[in-house]
Amino acid sequence: MTSVTEKRPVEKVRRSVLAGQAALVAVGAYVLAESFRLGLWNELGPGPGFFPCVLGGGLVLLSLVWFLQERAGVQAAPAPEASDTSQVRAVVLSLLVLAAALPFIGFQLGVFVFLLYHLRLRARTSWVKSLVISLLGSVGVYYLFTLALRVSLPEAGLVPLNLIGL
Amino acid sequence: MDVLNELLGGFASALTWQNLLFAFIGCLLGTVIGVLPGIGPVAGVALLIPLTLNLDPAGSIIMLCAIFYGTTYGGTITSVLLNTPGEAASAITALDGYAMTKIGRAGVALTIAAAGSFIGGSLATAGLVVAAKPLGGLGLMIGPPEFFALVVVGISLLVALAGRSMVRALISGALGLLISMVGIDPVAGAPRFTFGMERLLDGVSFVAVIVGLFGLSEVLSYRPGRNKVTVQSPGMRSLLPTRADWRRSAPAIARGTGVGFGLGLIPGMTGSVSSLLSYGAEKKFSKHRHELGQGAIEGVAGPETANNAHANGALIPLFTLGIPASPTIAVLMGAFLQQGLTPGPTLFAEHADIAWTIIASLFIGNILLLVLNVPLVGLWTSILKVPYPILSSLILMFMVVGAYTINFSVFDVFVMILFGVVGLVLRNLDIPLAPMVLTLVLGPLMERSLRESLDISRGDLSIFLDRPVTVVLLLVALAIVASPLLKLRKPAALAAEDPET
Repeated sequence: MTSVTEKRPVEKVRRSVLAGQAALVAVGAYVLAESFRLGLWNELGPGPGFFPCVLGGGLVLLSLVWFLQERAGVQAAPAPEASDTSQVRAVVLSLLVLAAALPFIGFQLGVFVFLLYHLRLRARTSWVKSLVISLLGSVGVYYLFTLALRVSLPEAGLVPLNLIGL
Repeated sequence: MDVLNELLGGFASALTWQNLLFAFIGCLLGTVIGVLPGIGPVAGVALLIPLTLNLDPAGSIIMLCAIFYGTTYGGTITSVLLNTPGEAASAITALDGYAMTKIGRAGVALTIAAAGSFIGGSLATAGLVVAAKPLGGLGLMIGPPEFFALVVVGISLLVALAGRSMVRALISGALGLLISMVGIDPVAGAPRFTFGMERLLDGVSFVAVIVGLFGLSEVLSYRPGRNKVTVQSPGMRSLLPTRADWRRSAPAIARGTGVGFGLGLIPGMTGSVSSLLSYGAEKKFSKHRHELGQGAIEGVAGPETANNAHANGALIPLFTLGIPASPTIAVLMGAFLQQGLTPGPTLFAEHADIAWTIIASLFIGNILLLVLNVPLVGLWTSILKVPYPILSSLILMFMVVGAYTINFSVFDVFVMILFGVVGLVLRNLDIPLAPMVLTLVLGPLMERSLRESLDISRGDLSIFLDRPVTVVLLLVALAIVASPLLKLRKPAALAAEDPET
């Protein structure tokens, strides 16, 4: 029989949760330090650093409370479902490459290659389908936005490409 | 009489072909977002803000409102046909809706859901008409201290969006406030957290952050089911309910309207809570409660009416007090601000014509959705047959367009990607995203109004205690914050089940 006064076992905090808590404390500490530099109070009331100071301090405090809660197993974060890391990596990297390339190769070519990569190489969609969807998603969307909605999208900065209207 | 005249003026403006077209496109897009897996209403509305950038303020908000309540109609279709809710508020509909599909009555379920949604949505909008004038009159009494108190009430609502852990909800809220503080300080003009980057002087783009947090992180964490989805589209003839269906649905629709409208007025209550409680009401009061779960029409009529009455009812705190009652409405509020309109009491004082045009368009939008949804059910189901890799690739492309076109800057695309990864990490840590949206929108307003108030009083905090409206509002905020202690917030079981939190 367990005694009422018996201590609750200290839970092992997941490494990812610990890393998250440490990152939050670091952000809070940085904000706190920066807020002092900005100035907390002046003759008219709170200065530019006042709100960040409250928030930075609050973030550090809350992260510590969360850490203690996790150790005590109170309202602990449930373990997440295993995510598809290859999907995450492919999506994030392809978006980064697309964003970096947009000013040079423009929206039409950039998005065409981006869609082709996801449809043909990753999803193994048929060549014809991939090409049609990529064309509609790049050239089609470009003209929909620039002509119908009058919202401009990036054009190629590289000379041979912008000369052919990309 | 004044109200009627202003509403008629609103109808005259909302019925111009341009505004009708915006409402129509918004309803179509909203329904598509509601139907699509892997993209919720928050990211959907944020994603489509760029489409409205070059429109006039009324047209832009009409379209975004139509997208917003279109999602609630669209979510029903997948609940009924696939047993997979397109959005959280339709989850409970799947119980009886899908059971009706299995016995060949999907068409009837969809028609009754659309009719209930129309009735609930229209009655809630009528409530907005009635409440608009008296609450809008408050605009004349609103100065920076009252505005600050109103924003505090709004921010205190993150207590209601807490989900499983209050501490993690507060962390989310604090992060939202911190993100909103990047850029030039609104009063002293000092740059904050810009890391010496000129692009950050204007702050981080609200749309890029929301699209990243809600949209991209959803795509990154989405794992489609292994089983191939087979969608049966009901024929036109099977869409017509019998007289008995109508007779049985009428009380459920009436109860759903009451529950949805009432809860929609309470900031922090999400549409999912309304539909869950409406289902609970059917279980208690329906004459056919023993059939619930086995394809009872009341199980579709009640919750679907409730979630639409909720969606339209939740616009009342936004329009009249400037308080966003849910994350999606917070995004809508961001769109208002982007168009130079501040929702709340001052909206009716400064932009009454626009406000009434938007209200009139809500009635029109509900009619459009009723007309669009039922006959076009074949089109909506065909969207579901598109393989997920194609959908996700196109969604990613639209996210890039959405983030870029806000400031026509590739930098915002990088911001979107960064916040997509942040969103994924936060989801894995079980930190709710909803409080962050709320504080992201309200943070700058709160800081500015606080500091303007203290400028007026020369730093004397007693300015907040000298004004009756401010005192009342601050007490309301205090009551909301204390509500978990007083057990006034939604029950824990509901909070855990509510996917919107």
